[in-house]
Amino acid sequence: MNWHEFVRIFDDCELAGDKIIVKSRLHDVIEFVIKNYPYNMLKEIIAVDNKDNTTELIYHMYSVDDEEDLYISITVQGEAESIVDIFESATADEREIYDLFGINFIGHEDLKRLYMPEDWKGFPLRKDYVQDDTRLAWNDNNEA
Amino acid sequence: MTTTRLKLNLGPQHPSTHGVLRLLLELEGEKILSCEPDIGYLHRGMEKMAEKLSYIQYLPLVDRIDYLAGFFYSELLCRIVESACGIEIPDKVKVIRVLMLELNRIASHLLWVGAFLMDLGATSPYFYVFREREMILRYFEKITGQRMMYNYFIFGGVRKDIEFLEDVEEIISVLPSKIDDYEKIITDNPIFIRRTENKGILSPDTAVNFAITGVNLRASGVDYDCRHTDELYRGFDFKSIILDGKDAWSRYKARILEMRESINIIKQALDYLKKSNPLEQRLIPPINLKLPEGDYYAEIEAPRGLASCYVRSDGEDKPYRLKWRTGSYYSVNLLRRILKGEYLNDAIAIAGSLDIILPEVDK
Amino acid sequence: MNYLYFLYIEFLSRHNIPKLFGDITFYFIPFCIIAAALIVAVLVLVLAERKLLGFFTQRKGPNRVGIWGILQTLADAFKLLCKENITPKKADRFLFNLAPILAFVPMFAALGVIPYSAEFTFINTGTNVILYLVLAAFPVISIFLAGWASNNKYSLFGAMRSISQVLSYELPIAFVVLSIAVLSSSMNLTGITLAQFSRWGIAGWFVFPCILGFIIMFISILAELNRCPFDLPEAESELICGYNTEYSGMRFAIFYLSEYAMMLANSMFLAILFFGGYLSPFGRYLFNNSFLIYFEQAFWLLFKAGIIIFVMIWIRAVLPRLAAFDLLKFSWAVLLPLSILNLFIMVLYKFITGGGLCA
Repeated sequence: MNWHEFVRIFDDCELAGDKIIVKSRLHDVIEFVIKNYPYNMLKEIIAVDNKDNTTELIYHMYSVDDEEDLYISITVQGEAESIVDIFESATADEREIYDLFGINFIGHEDLKRLYMPEDWKGFPLRKDYVQDDTRLAWNDNNEA
Repeated sequence: MTTTRLKLNLGPQHPSTHGVLRLLLELEGEKILSCEPDIGYLHRGMEKMAEKLSYIQYLPLVDRIDYLAGFFYSELLCRIVESACGIEIPDKVKVIRVLMLELNRIASHLLWVGAFLMDLGATSPYFYVFREREMILRYFEKITGQRMMYNYFIFGGVRKDIEFLEDVEEIISVLPSKIDDYEKIITDNPIFIRRTENKGILSPDTAVNFAITGVNLRASGVDYDCRHTDELYRGFDFKSIILDGKDAWSRYKARILEMRESINIIKQALDYLKKSNPLEQRLIPPINLKLPEGDYYAEIEAPRGLASCYVRSDGEDKPYRLKWRTGSYYSVNLLRRILKGEYLNDAIAIAGSLDIILPEVDK
Repeated sequence: MNYLYFLYIEFLSRHNIPKLFGDITFYFIPFCIIAAALIVAVLVLVLAERKLLGFFTQRKGPNRVGIWGILQTLADAFKLLCKENITPKKADRFLFNLAPILAFVPMFAALGVIPYSAEFTFINTGTNVILYLVLAAFPVISIFLAGWASNNKYSLFGAMRSISQVLSYELPIAFVVLSIAVLSSSMNLTGITLAQFSRWGIAGWFVFPCILGFIIMFISILAELNRCPFDLPEAESELICGYNTEYSGMRFAIFYLSEYAMMLANSMFLAILFFGGYLSPFGRYLFNNSFLIYFEQAFWLLFKAGIIIFVMIWIRAVLPRLAAFDLLKFSWAVLLPLSILNLFIMVLYKFITGGGLCA
């Protein structure tokens, strides 16, 4: 696949094999990619918490016709652009990442707790997460 | 006169939600205006647990991600560790794994057929499929000692050599005629056809956009089966089932046909295993196992769609981050769209046809 | 009935008890007979259904309580008796409690209308076919009350579905019954039974001229009983339990009981309309000149009803549930025109074979 056009428009992106490292304008990048390349499925969004208060989001795209994977990676700090208007499946992924990592996806309309209770404090998959919910039976702070 | 819309809480305790799915429906009469799935009632923190446990401690847990198809998830974790350690597993192990995976796929699809018909109000097929599923589970019990949480695959191989191949032979000799029986009682039943044909249309574009994979995608006419590019299935001759009905009936038919195809694969595996020598494998020592720094990714075609595992290792004996992708999770997300405008009566059939298993969704 | 009545009055007068007392108390006797027979019949019926469904699905069915699981339903009934009666907080208490009673009473009366044998007909009015039809359709009111009073959305859906279902299947039944009335020139169940008498037994049954009517009637009765494949009002996988979701303990047991009793009554009704009721299929009886002939006749009626019930259970084991729209469409677009057609055919048949309209 020809990536020259892509590199010309998004000049702050790095290409490494099947991985694109994006610094900004994620929404535009993904929109451009699905328009000009055969990638049509967003298999999943992987979030990894870096210890320096930033989170890496990896968008795993796939082309059903060409059977090729593409990873688009971006490092964000608490906030990211939502891509629910491009991929409906991102609704589920982004909500899960909000629940577990506390990333606020701008443009996502239904961002609320998914697995954890509504009033849960903290985001469990962050590296700086401390379990201190009083509802946990094994918690020392639990008076009951 | 004013009319108000009825909000109906379908689940989490409801006979047809197959576990603990909760659907918040907005109804007008029996017509569904909007549907909002609510999950998380079965969340066990699989990904959080991975960060606290070493790989070998985590291995027995992953069977629990999907209690109907546990082999697929332990296979994924094994594959991650094997690829990270650069170990090529012997051919016989591969064939054993394929045999187990395909038997597991049949067991899972069988249960689905029963549960789906139960949703449609026919109770008998549920018992018929349990009879056949029992044979497969008995065999698993003989080999692994467990009926559902097998913990049989291990880093670098399998826990012990395969035995009792005559049982598998019996299973695959009996199953096709039993599947014929199901088809006789179900497939051409006019009531069944009325209930499922042209119900829950899932167009290929929508399916791809919602990241639906597996049988549901293939029943919409999209040719995507990652078994074809899978290292494990190399050398096996099989075709994936592509139907273009896009409706609940095609999803049913595709699963039936996929069971027959799985029997085909099992036959080939059996031929290989009968001629093979005793197992020689080099297991990866699990104690103090540290994966080299880097990202690892593995995917497999599970009964409910593409399952994948992503691991980032920082060189420690525990994964820095481990993520599961499960097929059902995206099917639940699809309910939001596919149930809109349907009637309650059909909604149960459509949701059932997507084969949603809640432990897999909640992880 | 007269014979029994005379026996009773004679028995009383021998003990110098006034006739007035006999007139009043006599009607308790059939009540007691029906009540006792009904409980036994339902217990047997529930066990039979569970056993048969077990066999259909390659299971053993209940087999722990008593030999062959005979006492299973008794144990279940006892358990239901002991359970707490829960009334939901926001339910309409009065209607909630009234609904099971309303389900039970008309069913009881409907069983009284059935002619079990030449002697055992407890309510024998000139047009008791119509009386039966009214009583048989009555439980739908109790279903609606139960669904409404429970203050539960699932119950309400069940009740709504049940009403639309019974309303649309009541019409084909009425037309088929009308065609039977034409065939037999009678609106009385005993009259209909006797009109099917022939020396060769089954040759006189109305099922032969009126096979179309029988099929329509059978389907409609399945729908009226809310049985599979028409069990939408209590569709387990959709509405949990339909109208009786909120009921527990004895109230639930009464619903359960009346459901099975209605199944029994309706299959006897079918047997009367189409299979010669209490007439022997061979044209003659074992006990020809004794009192036992009445019991033999009752046996034949129950036997025919039993076969119909077996078919109903069989259907339940095989078929999935219909879709809601198909259900109504099937009644209005298929069954109703067919039943009217059937009526015309029967009138013509009667005209040709019976020698004129007034015969």
